[in-house]
Amino acid sequence: MLPAMPPRQPVLDPAAAYPRINALRTALDSGDWPECRSVLDAAEPVERTELTMIAFGETGLETFLRGVLTGDPGDGAAGALLGQHLIGAAWRIRTAARSEQVSRERLAAFTEGLEVAERLLVDAAARSPHDPAIWTARLITARGLRLGRSEARRRYDRLAAIDPHHLPGQWQFLQQLCPKSGGVWALAHTFAGETAAAAPPGSFDPVLVAEAHLEHWLEEHGRSAAAGRRYLSAGPVRDELNEAADRSVRHPAFRRTHGWVRVTSTFAMAFALLDDRPAAAALFTALGDLGSDRPWDYLGDPGPTIVKYRKRAGGGGT
Amino acid sequence: MIIRQEVDGIPALIAPTNGPMHAGLAFRVGFADEPLARRGITHLIEHLALYSFGVADYHYNGATGVEHTYFHMQGAEADIVAFLNGVCSGLRDLPMHRLPVEKEILRTEESSRGESPAERLALWRHGARDHGMPGYPEWGLHGLTPDDLRSWVARYFNRGNAVLWIAGPGVPAGLRLDLPDGTRQVVPAPSSTLPVRPAYFTGDSNVVAWDAVVKRGAAAAVFADVLKRMMFRSLRQEGGLSYNVLTDYTPRADGRAVIMAVADALPEKQDAVLGGFVDVLAAARLGMIDESEVTAVVNQRRDEMRHADAAGGRLPGQAFNLLDGRPLQSLEEALAELDAVTRGDVAAIAADACADGLLMTPGDNEADWAGFAEAPSESENLVDGIVYRSIGDSAPRLTAGEKGLSMTRMNSAVTVLFDECAAVLAWPDGGRIFIGNDAVQVRVEPALYPDGHAVVVALDARVRPELRVTMPPRDPERIPRPPASTTDTGSGSALSRVFRRIRGR
Repeated sequence: MLPAMPPRQPVLDPAAAYPRINALRTALDSGDWPECRSVLDAAEPVERTELTMIAFGETGLETFLRGVLTGDPGDGAAGALLGQHLIGAAWRIRTAARSEQVSRERLAAFTEGLEVAERLLVDAAARSPHDPAIWTARLITARGLRLGRSEARRRYDRLAAIDPHHLPGQWQFLQQLCPKSGGVWALAHTFAGETAAAAPPGSFDPVLVAEAHLEHWLEEHGRSAAAGRRYLSAGPVRDELNEAADRSVRHPAFRRTHGWVRVTSTFAMAFALLDDRPAAAALFTALGDLGSDRPWDYLGDPGPTIVKYRKRAGGGGT
Repeated sequence: MIIRQEVDGIPALIAPTNGPMHAGLAFRVGFADEPLARRGITHLIEHLALYSFGVADYHYNGATGVEHTYFHMQGAEADIVAFLNGVCSGLRDLPMHRLPVEKEILRTEESSRGESPAERLALWRHGARDHGMPGYPEWGLHGLTPDDLRSWVARYFNRGNAVLWIAGPGVPAGLRLDLPDGTRQVVPAPSSTLPVRPAYFTGDSNVVAWDAVVKRGAAAAVFADVLKRMMFRSLRQEGGLSYNVLTDYTPRADGRAVIMAVADALPEKQDAVLGGFVDVLAAARLGMIDESEVTAVVNQRRDEMRHADAAGGRLPGQAFNLLDGRPLQSLEEALAELDAVTRGDVAAIAADACADGLLMTPGDNEADWAGFAEAPSESENLVDGIVYRSIGDSAPRLTAGEKGLSMTRMNSAVTVLFDECAAVLAWPDGGRIFIGNDAVQVRVEPALYPDGHAVVVALDARVRPELRVTMPPRDPERIPRPPASTTDTGSGSALSRVFRRIRGR
């Protein structure tokens, strides 16, 4: 008998789901600013912000983007891209470890890098005060530089005044409200619940409810699978997750626009962890070959982890 | 139309008014002229000169400012004559029997009045001299003698250092400004303690404040008003972060002007008020200023200027110009300067202001992230000298040398050089605070050091006697003492009280 084929790994590169990412990467790599702009300008606001965030992970863009800004200091797209790029460079110095495990020198270099990014973004926001991508980036710097919750709130309010359903920014602000950034769980859950309730049916925003519970699960119960399951499957949490999924990923109006994979994948993880296998299986099926690093990386290497939970849920093939 | 005349050898500016007659006598003297050890002398003289008017039912007042001091009265011609004549005779012959009581009144006035953000900014920008003086208590009051007052009056409150203004039909009959002869006193050049600007320091938790020194003129005045509108919109209307926002434009004799901005903050909103203010400044710095906003401010200022002129309200400013050796500006000239202000002029002033800015952050917020350098609160250098360790390590290490003294703890040091000393506060129990011209303070508590009292005697001998401010006795409870035993390090409160690296009161 032949050995079984290893299970198929999900495709985690967001570019697989969103072709504009590759178009933007190519334009950035070839230093073609008009092409970058045409990709970004054609995108919806959330998609545009998500696209600017690819500069977080790219290297070697600073000279090009600074050149663009020198030519047109008021180009908000270039400001957001360069801001994200500088934030990413700073975060790579810091590494993703918890702050008490990062050396003092690294933290100082991280802060210095974020300050460079923040100063650039201060100017970008002054010149383009209605650009949601810039305010999203400034939520990241506010958290990294520990500028305080009320300052993060101010930045989020500026963003919400432009677009009240801007998931990339909402996710950043939710992080700010979590205890690891000096917040408290009640604030995080309240923000997630209120934002979900205010969102139109079928939108992405209710995923914040799942994000908040996954953050809570990881921080308080992540070390014990049984305790984690107990937290997530307790009546009120399970009800909230189901309600959020019904308003979002399970709603007929849910659209597969930029960000849908991460939203679906996040709900799938929540249901997989609380052991609602049918609910998880349905979402894995909807995802097909696609998957997202976040928030699965909380459990380890995302690819094999997704495979494991998908198999246990019995959905989406093997 | 302002008419220039002379009254008893004093230049006079006379203009008609559409309201009640008023007049004032201004002198080129203010806080900026006071040495720290004499701080309060001008204000005390102003009070004494007005003493004879008591509780008379007059609309009169006196005001001591940074660069000018004036006496002002509104009312019938005869009352104005009586008031100005009385001020001059009061100055010639100060009621010295009132000295102890007036000192007490001033001390009460001071303690009931909080320290304003403008005063804090002045101290951090200029240090413990000239334009930094508003940031200091009136420490000179303790030791001022009648002779001190008389020599100050002779130097500053004289015929050559005064200007009279009259808003009314002309010089009233019977006016007799009997002042001694003297010469015009030039305003001291403003010092700076800020090696790098923009800079910041941490202040009170309930307020964000900022100031900047720019070229004096209509564009700067317009910018101050535009800035207030930007702050109001951003911090109050949109964000609901501040209740009160204000800005201020104060021209200086040296052709520069101070623009100041203040926004209050609830304790739980202080981070956001700082962030919002940083964004407002960035918008100003980058010239994100609406043409319509500039136009609105210019129109408003034009109306105010016309109204002020009609009531004689421009006279005090013109009197100060005359005292400062600056040209007088007619209403037409002032309006023309105002009308010529463009959006570009305001943006240029905004950029200059932001480059020169000094920010007072709320609570313990830093502002490096926003491009502000931390204003120096320590000294770079230590003096050479004998090092004294405190008893039981209860206080920082004291180094006393021929050139000055230093206190060191961990990596922090504060130094005051005898040649750069602004004042020494001296308590009868031997406690001393040496204050440098840069506003850095070194506090010596002799009880905490072996031979501490002998060290204080030696230090006293190396400081010019006129810098000494004799303070009233302290409550014995408040005099730091060494810990009772060597096992009780007792460092806590004594240490923190002795080692103050932060400048200020």
